[in-house]
Amino acid sequence: MNRDLAVETDGLKKRYGDLTALAGVSLSIDAGEIFALLGPNGAGKTTWISIVCGLVRATAGHARVLGHDVVRDPIAARKLVGLVPQEVNFDPFFTPREVLSFQMGYYGQRADPARIDEVLRALDLHGKADTNTRALSGGMKRRLLIGKALVHRPRVVFLDEPTAGVDVALRRDLWSYVRRLRQEGTTIVLTTHYLEEAEALADRVAVIDRGQLVGLDTTAALLARFGNKQIRVRLSAPVATASAPAAPPLPAWLQELGATVDPTGHVVTCPLGGMAPAALLARLGSLQPAVADIDTEQPSLEQVFLALTGGSEGSATKAPS
Amino acid sequence: MNAIGFRTLFAKETRRFLRVPGQTLAQPIVTTALYFLVFGYALGGRVREVDGVSYIRFIVPGLMLLGLSQNAFLNTSSSMFIAKMQGTIVDLLVAPLGVVDLLLAFTLAAILRGMMVGGIVWVISALFTGFSVGHPLWVLVFGLLVGATFGLVGLAVAIWSDKFEQLNIVPTFIITPLTFLGGVFYSANMLPPPWSYVSRVNPVLYMVEGLRYGVVGTSSSSPWLGLAVTGGIGLLSLAIAAWMLATGYKLRS
Repeated sequence: MNRDLAVETDGLKKRYGDLTALAGVSLSIDAGEIFALLGPNGAGKTTWISIVCGLVRATAGHARVLGHDVVRDPIAARKLVGLVPQEVNFDPFFTPREVLSFQMGYYGQRADPARIDEVLRALDLHGKADTNTRALSGGMKRRLLIGKALVHRPRVVFLDEPTAGVDVALRRDLWSYVRRLRQEGTTIVLTTHYLEEAEALADRVAVIDRGQLVGLDTTAALLARFGNKQIRVRLSAPVATASAPAAPPLPAWLQELGATVDPTGHVVTCPLGGMAPAALLARLGSLQPAVADIDTEQPSLEQVFLALTGGSEGSATKAPS
Repeated sequence: MNAIGFRTLFAKETRRFLRVPGQTLAQPIVTTALYFLVFGYALGGRVREVDGVSYIRFIVPGLMLLGLSQNAFLNTSSSMFIAKMQGTIVDLLVAPLGVVDLLLAFTLAAILRGMMVGGIVWVISALFTGFSVGHPLWVLVFGLLVGATFGLVGLAVAIWSDKFEQLNIVPTFIITPLTFLGGVFYSANMLPPPWSYVSRVNPVLYMVEGLRYGVVGTSSSSPWLGLAVTGGIGLLSLAIAAWMLATGYKLRS
């Protein structure tokens, strides 16, 4: 048992009849980090979180929160966590202020009006604090879920798709709030379909596919390992394409590097691979037709995700902007 | 035990039914008042006395039990079922609330609502029959026990139910028939054999008779027998609800 670990799972398995939702996932999440779980729909991310939060019972394996086993010592483990579930829920009888007050009470804390106001303000719900939750918009209900997970100052917060369906401005606000929580020492574990979100927030990323852990590293290391930086050049005249074979062909050395041409014949995209950028730029200087413009494309978690899951991109989406 | 957590949940469950008093308090009062007027006055003209008590006074404890049991059942069953359907059950399952905290909070709120309705029914009835109470302590004991029992049954039924239809099966096909056939409007002594014997197998009869002993001062069976039967069913309901919460039956997959 390591006290510096916020969450630890050993060989976590979950079977529903013949379906294996988790096939032995072992993860260790350090206290104070932002950790992202990525994976296609049905990969097992929510099952993993649900076991750690005590909503689902594991078929095999162990889960601990700050050293407390979630099965043998569930009350101590649950005291330390806050969960933003994937599905939006609301209690139609009460207002956001009342809901947050109840939430503090469930965690053994006396309702603290100052803390409740602070959370309502941080989530831009202050104007609706005393309105029945039924009257809140979808985005507000989701923000209230986040408030419920945070109001009791948990040491580990699980955010299961926290920004699904949330507009861009609010998403950015939530990101900065998550970063602030981390600065205050809170451990954040999030699942997301928005790879941009994991890239922007996470210190480390785990990729789960078909119930198994297929990748785990720091975000930077995963990007360096799987994400290929690319150079994109716009040519002053087109090169040959399938639809216009009469134009001059793309030089052989570029084809060997894996460069591709867009359908107009004007844009060539070339992965850097192991080549130094300066060397590639020097060779591009003598290219005919001449280079009219040039830019670089950063590697993205999307590339990592696709590489690790073998292209099961059904759930890997770009955040709408 | 999480004392603040339990108190919070109890306060929330109480506030929930007080927030909709038209549905939770006024509606059962109107219904029971109608029973009282129709049965008490219409039948009371023909059946003047039952077991030595005027008919209109005789039916008061039964009507109290009707309001008490139905509202205790509804408080837990609707709250738990709505929480399951809305998804807010997650709040309780993830929070550090133990089985005892959950049971106590849900049951006490159910007792409170049941006894409030039962008490109001008594006050309305007493305007016509007089405010004397035979054995107040027995009224309190049966009020608490019956409220707790039906509250626990409501909790268990809501945990078991996956659909509204299932939620209604138990009150429609079990609780209501047993209550109406449990001597609310008649004495088991009025039935000819074998129905008088069949009637005595119904546990609700002993709850009604126990409350009748407390309110009116006399009953066709001993209040101690009523206490034993109600206590037994209460303990069985407690065991089932506690087992469901402890194992996470239909709550934690």
